[in-house]
Amino acid sequence: MSLLSTEGLVKEFGGLRAIDELSVSIEEGELVGVMGPNGAGKSTFFNCVSGVIPPDQGTVTLNENDVTGNSPESLAHRGLVRTFQNTRELETMTVRDNVRLAGPDQPGERTLPALLRSSSMREREETVQQRADELIETFELDHLANEYSSNLSGGQRKLLELARTLMLDPDVLLLDEPFAGVNPTLTREIADHVRDLNADGMTVVTIEHELETLAELVDRLIVLQQGQLLVEGNPETVLKDERVIEAYLGGDAE
Amino acid sequence: MSALDRFPPGHGDRALIAGIVCLFIGALFTMTPLRVQLPSAFYVFVEVGILFVIYGVLVLGLDLQYGHTGLVNFGHVVFFAVGAYATAMLSAQDTFTGIGLGYPWPLGLAVGVIAAAILGAAVSLTSIRLRGDFLAIVTLATAEIFHSLFVNFEDIFGGNVGILGVPRPIAAVISDSDTQLVATLLVLGGITFLTLAVVIRLTDAPYGRVLRAIRADELVTRSVGKSTITYKMQAFVYGAALAGLAGGMFALYNGAVAPGFFTIQVTVTVWIGMLLGGAANHRAVLAGLAIIMGLRLISRFALNVTPVAGDVFASIRLIVVGLILVAVIRYRPAGIWGDPQELGVDQ
Repeated sequence: MSLLSTEGLVKEFGGLRAIDELSVSIEEGELVGVMGPNGAGKSTFFNCVSGVIPPDQGTVTLNENDVTGNSPESLAHRGLVRTFQNTRELETMTVRDNVRLAGPDQPGERTLPALLRSSSMREREETVQQRADELIETFELDHLANEYSSNLSGGQRKLLELARTLMLDPDVLLLDEPFAGVNPTLTREIADHVRDLNADGMTVVTIEHELETLAELVDRLIVLQQGQLLVEGNPETVLKDERVIEAYLGGDAE
Repeated sequence: MSALDRFPPGHGDRALIAGIVCLFIGALFTMTPLRVQLPSAFYVFVEVGILFVIYGVLVLGLDLQYGHTGLVNFGHVVFFAVGAYATAMLSAQDTFTGIGLGYPWPLGLAVGVIAAAILGAAVSLTSIRLRGDFLAIVTLATAEIFHSLFVNFEDIFGGNVGILGVPRPIAAVISDSDTQLVATLLVLGGITFLTLAVVIRLTDAPYGRVLRAIRADELVTRSVGKSTITYKMQAFVYGAALAGLAGGMFALYNGAVAPGFFTIQVTVTVWIGMLLGGAANHRAVLAGLAIIMGLRLISRFALNVTPVAGDVFASIRLIVVGLILVAVIRYRPAGIWGDPQELGVDQ
């Protein structure tokens, strides 16, 4: 049984079918890349799976539970967390608070323990703080910990977003273009982090335009076109597939 | 106060101590024959001070909603009014018009807070899932609806006369009017300090971090597992309940409530105070409110020395307040003590 799968997923915007009967399945521990030309439905696929928008038809299954149309917060509790294509930082908060926010099971996020400054809140906050500082250090953001995240560069924001999602210790991590707008050095760094996470057992699905980086990184590629599954398989075969070359380079290649 | 390391907290404790001290001294006046005498020129300062501490509770509630959570409430006065009316109607004896049930005032005060909270819950249930500007419209409309209810349902709310004969617990035990004023300021000021302590605790805790995250980006906050609708509703209801508390305090101090006390002017004053001081900073919003109310007070004295008629002067006063607000928004958009980066505005 796969860890995350979709069955006949459909999402329409007006008359346009962004996702058209899409069925994919991701096994536990896999590192999967999702690619496809602009408008192929990659982000809509992520949005439907992560609860940002409900699909019109079809089902999403996570850990053998039907999670179709579940809210992002409940999916986060079930172990599925995502990043966003255009990094979404909590710009009016510091780097450290961005990461600490994601710490789960904090009783101090309820009114009464907060008002009473309960010891459970303080103890939990110490753990949260410790874990946040570890992650901030791992992603080499420690010198920026007290900066507002609006002061960060594009690449640093990608790192911060990754650190924030990792606070939740997810089973499945969805990365929406983690390398977009990132310089080559940082790209390699982020790729290394993703590989490490996967080696530690985390299932990762990533959307990416940067084909070379993606092909090097992932075990399996899923290619979408016009909301449908075009090809899937190991990167070498997929990238040589004529349909993929056609879809990607299309008429423009001539 | 910067946003850095609000936790572990400690700021709230001073407010807590100040509140307890104020209440203690206020209580001394009510329980002992201790009396004070005020020079008559001081009266107006104490009276405005009392109004300031009542509005202080209002602005702290509004700041919890807007400053911390980003909820735009343009009808804050309605929760103030509902708290005041509920307190008055429950506890008034021999009101001239409208309902006066004559229950003990503490019960009235409790019902006032609860009534405002229930209205807050009703408003947030209908509107908080919608985009931010809809909440602004709904709250504004709610305030107008209730204002006309208060005016038109004379048998219930007493119409333009309002509810009279509301008990004044402090005046009931202190006969001397100077001491009455000072004791009222201390007791109500003590309540405001305690309110400050409560909101500081709430917003310094991880709870407040979630609120500020919602203000920054609701979707991100959801995607890290926080149920943002619940938090938005709670923040709105808490703000409404605080406004209800302020309303109850007002009714029990004033001894009467009427629609004229609850105009949109109240909402405008607390909004200006909050923006002037700097949203999301408890002490700043109180200071901003003090500035705007202080300006209004000083202008009263200015009337005596300016060679214009009263109505002309009133217009000039509005123009001056408007200019100050424009200047603040132009040069310090985050407010005088607000942190522009925390509020996400360009300085």
